[in-house]
Amino acid sequence: MEYWKNPEEAVTAIKRMWEDVGKDAELLEGAGKVNQLILFDYTESGPGCAVWVDCRNGAFVVGTGIPSGTPDLTMSLSADDAHRSWSNKLNPVMAITRRKIRVKGSATGLLKLVPKLKKVAVIYEKALTDLGWADKIMK
Amino acid sequence: MNANTGKIIRLDLNASAISIEMLPEDDYRNFVGGSGLAAKYFWDKGDFNTDALSPEAMLIFMNGPFSGLKLSGASRNSVAGRSPLTGHWSDSSCGGYFAPELRFAGYDGIVLTGKSPKPSVLLIEDDKISIVDGTEYWGKGIEEVTKELKNKYGKTCRTVVIGPAGENLVKFAAILNEGHHAFGRTGFGAVMGSKNLKAIVVKAAKKEMTLANPEKFEELRKVLNPKMKEALAASLLHENGTAANLEGGAFTGDVPIKNFTSNSWEGMADALTGSTLSEKYLTKRTSCAYCGIACKRVVEVKEGPWAIPEGSGPEYETIVSYGALIGSLDLAAVCKANRICNDMGIDTRSSGVTIAWAMEAFERGDLTEADTDGVKLLWGDMETVINVVLPKMAKREGKLGALLAEGSVSAAGKIGKDSINYTTQSKGLEAPMHDPRGGGHGMALTYAMSPRGACHVADPMLFVEMGACFWPEIGFEFVLEPKTDENKPEAAVMSIEMGALENSACFCQFADREVSIPEWLELFNTVPGYNWEAKDMMKAGRRIFFLKRLMNYRYGLTAKDDDLTPRMLEPARDGEPEGVEINFTGMKERFYTLMDMDSEKGIPSKTALDEYNLSEEAARVW
Repeated sequence: MEYWKNPEEAVTAIKRMWEDVGKDAELLEGAGKVNQLILFDYTESGPGCAVWVDCRNGAFVVGTGIPSGTPDLTMSLSADDAHRSWSNKLNPVMAITRRKIRVKGSATGLLKLVPKLKKVAVIYEKALTDLGWADKIMK
Repeated sequence: MNANTGKIIRLDLNASAISIEMLPEDDYRNFVGGSGLAAKYFWDKGDFNTDALSPEAMLIFMNGPFSGLKLSGASRNSVAGRSPLTGHWSDSSCGGYFAPELRFAGYDGIVLTGKSPKPSVLLIEDDKISIVDGTEYWGKGIEEVTKELKNKYGKTCRTVVIGPAGENLVKFAAILNEGHHAFGRTGFGAVMGSKNLKAIVVKAAKKEMTLANPEKFEELRKVLNPKMKEALAASLLHENGTAANLEGGAFTGDVPIKNFTSNSWEGMADALTGSTLSEKYLTKRTSCAYCGIACKRVVEVKEGPWAIPEGSGPEYETIVSYGALIGSLDLAAVCKANRICNDMGIDTRSSGVTIAWAMEAFERGDLTEADTDGVKLLWGDMETVINVVLPKMAKREGKLGALLAEGSVSAAGKIGKDSINYTTQSKGLEAPMHDPRGGGHGMALTYAMSPRGACHVADPMLFVEMGACFWPEIGFEFVLEPKTDENKPEAAVMSIEMGALENSACFCQFADREVSIPEWLELFNTVPGYNWEAKDMMKAGRRIFFLKRLMNYRYGLTAKDDDLTPRMLEPARDGEPEGVEINFTGMKERFYTLMDMDSEKGIPSKTALDEYNLSEEAARVW
């Protein structure tokens, strides 16, 4: 992997980012509109390398690995591309077209978060900094 | 001949003279079908001096090679000829069910000239072709006439019908298949109206096609159909229609607001997006023939001033044209306006853009109540738009109706005061609902280069700039940033070649995003059986583009017409694209160089034309 020493690092950073997203009132409201169990599946970069967010029915729960319930939406990509993506350096449409991201399920809800991706990128940068990984921040 | 039948119907309405004409196989191979084949036909047999609405004008319906296949997105078709709106060559494409039925009846196209002495209907029942009296339908709306025709000729017949707008020669009148699939653009409904032809009805006894390699095609079909249906974009289109990604467009500044004066409106995305339409008004999802994506909407507005019974719902372009563009976030009103436009036979884009222009003109004082029969044209006033403006336009009623029924360019010419500068069009065709300043600078280039005028479906540049196209087999591996000019002319060349192919093949741009270059080749090689390599296919695409450029040159267009209006090129005033300049001139110059086009005439050089097997055509212009 180009950005991570091991899969655990990727999981730690992205889980932290989602937990911080849950503390932002605007993003939390946006997540509520999504109303899905979403799995970010990075297992191509290592076993257990996955983060899920359950924002169904007003909840906002973040977990790692594969969730017990069936995800409404699964996005499969490498942990490196996840880093590029959350850093807002990967065009998601292009990544999907070139099969870097594979999507299964309804992405309708997620579209509502597209306008918030810049804000999410800022939160991601802060999460990396808080974890002592400022060197991973993409310029 | 495989897939294509090789036959077209020639109808001279002056004398009700019907004949069957065989087209040369080479023309199919060189110009594919649809708008490309129609252009070739017109080049050889049309008259460039004929007014679009005169009896002598030629109106051409043409299928593509794939019409009738049980394949998603493959059964659109084109209508083509001289546009009454723009005055030059144009074509307009439509999904629905007309194309396969025409193919099954035994024909690839219909070429109409002349004018019937009284309102008429063309009836095609396999070998039996007749002109029947259409007086009882004249003056009626499209919905009613479509129902009556189906009652008379059977529910399985397929129809194309014009509404009162076509009868009244409104310059952006549409032709509708099955009452809601539209040949919307550039006014061919008026051409049908000028010929006193209210409708065409087609009915085929058998549903058969001959393919070059049916076994191979079947293998391909089994791969392509699920691939197209399960793609992310297709699932979004199915779920929430063509407005599914209005949120994304609103965020980037792609959605034009108030006559392209703004690119940002808080609350717009939530109010107008496809998921809101689904939640509030959707009752069913429907599709064009044999398409598994089913992006069409059926809606019902149960209560309120814009209550409408269950019926066709609006597409993205209509939602923005009759929403943000004219200053409204009222989705129910959009549904109502869409229904009226469909029934009257009005193109929602040209009409919406013309209304938006008129609202700005009224706000500026360039248009006054003296010009509008006392009607105040105010942003977002949907009551006036729906109850007053639309009926007046469709009937050319009063000063306002007569003014707006000609389209924005003509209207601006009439009122003067530099109001042409804030029209939003190229070559006289009102722009689609994707603002290049926010959606992608390459679209500014392709809008200007599009033979029919500002158009986002002449080629897939919108998708190209989004990142939704990847054709490594033809060297297209660009990583593009929408709001720059970097690599845009290079990308535009390939986009235009692919677009010419898609349109001439009459394939839906939503479905065929998933079709790779090798799969395109396999389609051409197993269905009509061309035995093409990629270079042959791309050459056909560019050849079609070149021919249409030559046609427009013969109509008097030159390089200076490859332009956008000042409003469309001025830096955006707000939102994501605020202040960003489009390097339009630089992109245009580079594109001309890449295409080997003459910078004054706006047509390919003689050498380029020779290279693309257009030497005979070149002799007419060089």
